[in-house]
Amino acid sequence: MLENEANPTLSKSTGLPRKRFYRARAHSNPLSDSHFPVPTSPCHVDFSLHYPHFCSSSDQIDSSKKIQFADIGCGFGGLLISLSTLFPDTLMIGMELRDKVTEYVKERILALRVANPGQYQNISVVRTNSMKYIPNYFEKGQLSKMFFLFPDPHFKEKNHRRRVISTHLLDEYAYALGVGGIIYTITDVEELGDWMKACLESHPMFEALTEEELEADPVVKLLSSATEESQKVARNGGQTFQAVYRRVMLAT
Amino acid sequence: MEETLIEEGETNKDIEVAPALIAVHPTQKSIAVAVGSDLRVFDFQGASAVSLVDDTSGPFHRDSIRAIRYSADGNLFVSAGDDKVVKIWFTESWCCICTVPSEKRVSAVALSNDSLYVCFADKFGVVWVVDLDGFDGNQMLANKKAAPLLAHYCSIITSLEFSPDGRFVISADRDFKIRVTVLPKKPLDGAHEIQNYPQGFLVSGSGDSTVRLWDISSGSLLDTCEVGAKAELLESNGKEEECNLAVTDLCTFPDDKLLEKLQGSVSVEEKVFLAAAEAVKTSMSNLLVKKQYSTEKREFRKRARNDRKIKQ
Repeated sequence: MLENEANPTLSKSTGLPRKRFYRARAHSNPLSDSHFPVPTSPCHVDFSLHYPHFCSSSDQIDSSKKIQFADIGCGFGGLLISLSTLFPDTLMIGMELRDKVTEYVKERILALRVANPGQYQNISVVRTNSMKYIPNYFEKGQLSKMFFLFPDPHFKEKNHRRRVISTHLLDEYAYALGVGGIIYTITDVEELGDWMKACLESHPMFEALTEEELEADPVVKLLSSATEESQKVARNGGQTFQAVYRRVMLAT
Repeated sequence: MEETLIEEGETNKDIEVAPALIAVHPTQKSIAVAVGSDLRVFDFQGASAVSLVDDTSGPFHRDSIRAIRYSADGNLFVSAGDDKVVKIWFTESWCCICTVPSEKRVSAVALSNDSLYVCFADKFGVVWVVDLDGFDGNQMLANKKAAPLLAHYCSIITSLEFSPDGRFVISADRDFKIRVTVLPKKPLDGAHEIQNYPQGFLVSGSGDSTVRLWDISSGSLLDTCEVGAKAELLESNGKEEECNLAVTDLCTFPDDKLLEKLQGSVSVEEKVFLAAAEAVKTSMSNLLVKKQYSTEKREFRKRARNDRKIKQ
């Protein structure tokens, strides 16, 4: 506990970082030019920094071990942390544009790793603009799940192009997702829910999951319970709208 | 077959003028030059200037032309630019057969090798496609509408190309990305399948003063040429680059004679070259930098915008 005293940003009781030291704005402009480093291609990403446990144990560069889940706009990382114990052998990454928030998630994961030895080694976070740089991080068909939980609604028509789900951006997500991969979206804004559903429905490379499949998928339940944002919605008794779609082959 | 050249006089003009563009007919029947909003065509066979005929709308282009291109067979010619229209010309008669409106200013154009489709990219990073099906060289194509094909996320597209086999559309944007997209059978419904981010052979030039050769199917980098070191050599080869060594355009010139005709001599005087390079630099940076509007202009644009929330 001595080191915690030296570092006031960590909570004394839990050792986790305290949010008040990572206060960030609620939104960030995805259109602005990025001033953070971006890898030129997926092979330029050094994943040993992100997953030291997985990289040191196998020692050789294991190509089979690739990131499979991506949480786009991971926020404070609630979903990643729930998924980490649910899929302990799957590498997953959170992508967040807000610098402070990314810092918080980074500290949170490190603290969790210290508090629970052997656990939470499979999650990490990067600060990036996922609307621009998905192909810089993932190879074609690398991902099996992508999450878009409570994205910015961008109500104004002028700002619709800033929405993280759009017909054209779905092309890029379809590129990163392997056939059979699943895209999860949820929001508490009805208008955005309709929009996301309409985009996915009209896209030729995505099909909706059936009710039974949704029922059987343990991840679906996490959508409306795991993230900080979903807890806030539940607290206020708000409604949520989800759309879960599977990546399919393009019919020729 | 296109090269960015700047005439000496242009350095004195308003910085808003677009870089001059040159396009050469694939069999060298004619050559087209665009400076600002002016498009001129010179016929090599008749050795005379061509008078353009445009009955589709207004007087030619109203603002800077940003992209011109011949089709692979040379029968069609496309010009587009800041006035938000794409004009398609029939090169036999030099009639404008079609004027397609664009929502935003156009930054790049391309024609499919079978001349069935014209693609153009706008400043919001959306690539649009127009089909020319049914055109036989005589009639006008009225009321053609463009359909969105693909989009780079709100990034200005700097270059647009069809692969020679017609299977892919290749687009490059100012966020240093090159995307290879499978051209679907019905492009009007949009192209959704991304083949790769660089993957055939693809030559690209970029602001880091390198020219790179890519393999289209795997996306791997085959070779990199540091242009900065070879600038002296390239000067006479028809590749044009700037003082600050950003590669602005690539061109494989069919023969040096053409260049000779254009400039009087193949060797470009160093002074002229430096002036030209400076002008290219300003105009390229104008092209690639986001436009800054003055406060009152911004207010005015805000008023004209449609921000209503649609509630059903």
